[in-house]
Amino acid sequence: MTKRQILLRKISTYSFAMLDLQIFLDTHPNDEKTLAKIRKYREMLMPLREEYERTYGPLTKSEDTNNWDWINSPWPWEKEGEK
Amino acid sequence: MFVYEKKLQYPVNIKKPNPKLAKIIITQYGGPDGELAASLRYLSQRFTMPLPELKATLTDIGTEELGHMEMIGAIVYQLTKGLTEEEIKKAGFDTYFVDHTTGIYPQSASGTPFTAAYIQSKGDAITDLHEDLAAEQKARTTYDNILRFCDDYDVIDPIRFLRQREVVHYQRFGENLRILTDNLDSKNFYAFNPEFDTNCFKKTRKK
Repeated sequence: MTKRQILLRKISTYSFAMLDLQIFLDTHPNDEKTLAKIRKYREMLMPLREEYERTYGPLTKSEDTNNWDWINSPWPWEKEGEK
Repeated sequence: MFVYEKKLQYPVNIKKPNPKLAKIIITQYGGPDGELAASLRYLSQRFTMPLPELKATLTDIGTEELGHMEMIGAIVYQLTKGLTEEEIKKAGFDTYFVDHTTGIYPQSASGTPFTAAYIQSKGDAITDLHEDLAAEQKARTTYDNILRFCDDYDVIDPIRFLRQREVVHYQRFGENLRILTDNLDSKNFYAFNPEFDTNCFKKTRKK
């Protein structure tokens, strides 16, 4: 696995944990333990996301996204190193 | 509104093409119990849902299903990349190839194009949630059947992830049904359609 893939896998792991817990909160809106876990994973996720976007390009489009980077950073269905 | 994330929900890195497998896995893209049907079903049903928990669940799961559709597209794409005409013919992929080359097209394993007839949006929360529960189990069985034909770990791994999500979504829809019935007349849930008839909710509950 390349450095990019390892970093992306870490990001996917924490953001998936958050997504799963957030759907759980839809039916358990006051669950304190789940809220605490989401906060914990969010803290772990944010620096990794920043590092990824700084190094490999944007993960989502925002007002200040460089469009060149958006087009040219790897598309998720491509295998590493292929365009 | 939707915002795209330039990553898959779970990684797909398939090293060995396998057009035979691609031909059956495409059914989870646009087949009767596929991810497109799932997404369209939940994102359509949510508009008339009577309670906020149900609107939230259908929105979030319907959105996640779009991500699953992308994963299946990536799997089929990688399984059919760089094939020779001979490999295509030998694997029986020629019947797909003639219509779509290696483009990703929403169809079932047997070649039926996607149709909205796969889904229902009944405008009755009890009915729709039962459809959703059944849909998750049907998708789970389809993934179980796909796994019978997989011998490549690179394919098995993301398919197992998707199978697991069906089980979790089934759980959430079960909770949705309980939240709904807990707020209806316990003597007769079916006395009213909770999406159409007013005043069928208990006095303590606000919509």
